[in-house]
Amino acid sequence: MKITKKIITKIEGEATLKLHKNQNIIEFAEIEFWQYRGIEDFLKNRHYNDASVINPRVCGICGHSHLIATAEVIENALKIKITKKAKILREITVGLEIIQNHIKWFYLTLFPSIKDIDYFKALEFSRDIAKIIALIAGQFPHNSYAIAGGITSDLTNLEIIKIKNFLLKMFERYQEIMNIEGYSKDLEILFEDIPKNIGKSLNKFLVLGNNLFFRANGEIKFVNEEKTSSFNKNALYNDKFYEVGPLARNLKNPLINKIYEEHKDSVYTRIFARLYEVNLIFEYLIKEIDKIDINEKNFIKPRNKNGKGKISIEAPRGSLIHEIEIENEKIKKYNIIVPTQFNLANGNKQNLSPAQAALINEDEKYADFIFKCFDICAICVSH
Amino acid sequence: MLDVQKVKQRIAELRKLPGIASKPLSEILEENGFTRRDFLKWSGTMAVALGLPASFAPVVAEAAEVSDRLPVIWLHLAECTGCSESLLRTDAPTIDNLIFNYINLEYHDTIMAAAGWQAEQNFEEAVKKFKGRYILCVEGGVPTKDNGDFLTIGPEAETGLEKVRRTAKDAKAIISVGTCSSFGGIQAAYPNPTGAVGVHKVVNKQVINVPGCPPSDRNIVGTIMYVILFGQLPAVDNFNRPKFAYGLRIHDLCERRGHFDAGEFVEEFGSQEAMNGFCLYKVGCKGPYTFNNCSRERFNQHTSWPVQAGHGCIGCSEPDFWDSMAPYEEPLANHKFESVSADATADKVGITILTIAGVAIAAHAAISAIKNPKE
Repeated sequence: MKITKKIITKIEGEATLKLHKNQNIIEFAEIEFWQYRGIEDFLKNRHYNDASVINPRVCGICGHSHLIATAEVIENALKIKITKKAKILREITVGLEIIQNHIKWFYLTLFPSIKDIDYFKALEFSRDIAKIIALIAGQFPHNSYAIAGGITSDLTNLEIIKIKNFLLKMFERYQEIMNIEGYSKDLEILFEDIPKNIGKSLNKFLVLGNNLFFRANGEIKFVNEEKTSSFNKNALYNDKFYEVGPLARNLKNPLINKIYEEHKDSVYTRIFARLYEVNLIFEYLIKEIDKIDINEKNFIKPRNKNGKGKISIEAPRGSLIHEIEIENEKIKKYNIIVPTQFNLANGNKQNLSPAQAALINEDEKYADFIFKCFDICAICVSH
Repeated sequence: MLDVQKVKQRIAELRKLPGIASKPLSEILEENGFTRRDFLKWSGTMAVALGLPASFAPVVAEAAEVSDRLPVIWLHLAECTGCSESLLRTDAPTIDNLIFNYINLEYHDTIMAAAGWQAEQNFEEAVKKFKGRYILCVEGGVPTKDNGDFLTIGPEAETGLEKVRRTAKDAKAIISVGTCSSFGGIQAAYPNPTGAVGVHKVVNKQVINVPGCPPSDRNIVGTIMYVILFGQLPAVDNFNRPKFAYGLRIHDLCERRGHFDAGEFVEEFGSQEAMNGFCLYKVGCKGPYTFNNCSRERFNQHTSWPVQAGHGCIGCSEPDFWDSMAPYEEPLANHKFESVSADATADKVGITILTIAGVAIAAHAAISAIKNPKE
């Protein structure tokens, strides 16, 4: 048996993959992350609102999900109910972040690991999506428009109409990348050189967030963390590993389910679910935006000063958990569990994480691709 | 210093060097739907942004055309990748961005084609081959505690600290992109568990800081253009920030400035005042203490910026802002310095922020408070 060390780059940071092999076949894989920043430590003793400025900096690519999760966990702790208008606008910005993330992941991270592609079209698409977020939130990446109690921006009816038109136009443009029937030319091109059925994993799925149209199939209280030999912490559910992310949360969609029946939880199904999810999010947001009542309040001032909260939202890579304890408006404790901690956990041979299970029994030459299918975010892990 | 002839001479010399681009910039721009006229317009605005006389516009265009001759090495340290995200992806493809892609980027692990071991090898080769000639751009803070063990990179598990020191040694110019590499950034917030600092603290060379969380692409490309134009670093303020970008306060050109002068303030988010677009000073805007050009340049292709979306400036281009500007939703004048973190930075706040102007601003806001009593 031979062990080789592989450095996985271009994944928003860096991961180390130690492959145990027999010939070229992977028998076991160790996953390590060697960065640490200590974001949760900075939050202690600060005013709870500081968390909505600090937490987006956990990650430059999915920071907006961290912002919304922060606002929601404080609202959960202080028992604040925000208006429907604020809720819908937050759904729009989180949904759009997921969309631009998937497109960049497909064209900038995944595709180039197999073959060359002109990714300019994808960049332009993401840029225009980011512009819609900026219309609502002021800037992308990194903004602070969502705070506990609601949002700070005050949109006019004209702006809402503008945003809706933007959404409709982008939805139409997306049909060129993957249409509503599930056909994608670029996906076919990608799989010309690579088998569809590799990378089968645990076949166990977990959804904890209830935002957008996603529905949880588990409860946050059963989630626990365990330390590993590197800076990563594993996230488990009832002491077992589960796959989180677009495939897990869209399994009930008839089209995705059909692909799943045929290819099980392979790389193909995982990629298909991600690309198709974009269509579903567009459809949902276009329906939701009509429900905005412009006369509703943007913000309701929190009155409570103490409380504990724990929430989860569905972020681009899966279920994201934020937990807080507030005492006299100050943060006593804060904990963040990111989706990559579930999917890219470093388990042992008896208890494999989704990415480890997907790598085992596969040819070493596909390791990089299988790994990247989970859309790893080393930066989030290194919070 | 502003000698057009000298700059022209320099560009002529650069032109003689081999470039890496497969085709000239003019062709790349044309393919992406930009005309020669657009490009010259860009040169004009870039010249103005750099604080140069308008007569420099054609020279700026020429400099952009030879920008593939100067090798750039881009390092990622402790950070969130938001700077690259903002620059390389979200704002693409503006002319700034195309030029950024045209620059001779010898090493940048997010956008280069090579990955893993291959990427590492490219890095070593570039450092050797372009010794003394390359521009080093660093994104992310440098963890220094425990000899920098909180961040190791590459197959040899080299610490970020070693890597940046080694790469800086033979660099022609060093540019810190973003607040993390400029001043340590979020990693360096109290209690700074990894001992993160800005690049200038660990190398003994001059470093140009282009802070912001994230900074605008205009400021990053502008700084690199300046180095190409003059072969030297731009004029800087006392925090080594280029004056052309960080010369004015956010407050000076803010769209809500008129409301500040008139004493019209937002006292609570979601209020009628907030809907009227009044000044955000009393809900924590740090625009009066922050030097940057956001109110002029904005983000996402000039679409918007945080103040337009109703949240105050958080002061992200100032040193130690994570501690000194907090709480972010309260005016600095109310800063009570009760936490340990605040104590640690109180001295610095005293020197850098609460200047006479700062005191005057707080006084102005206080007087207006009497005019518009709170609740």
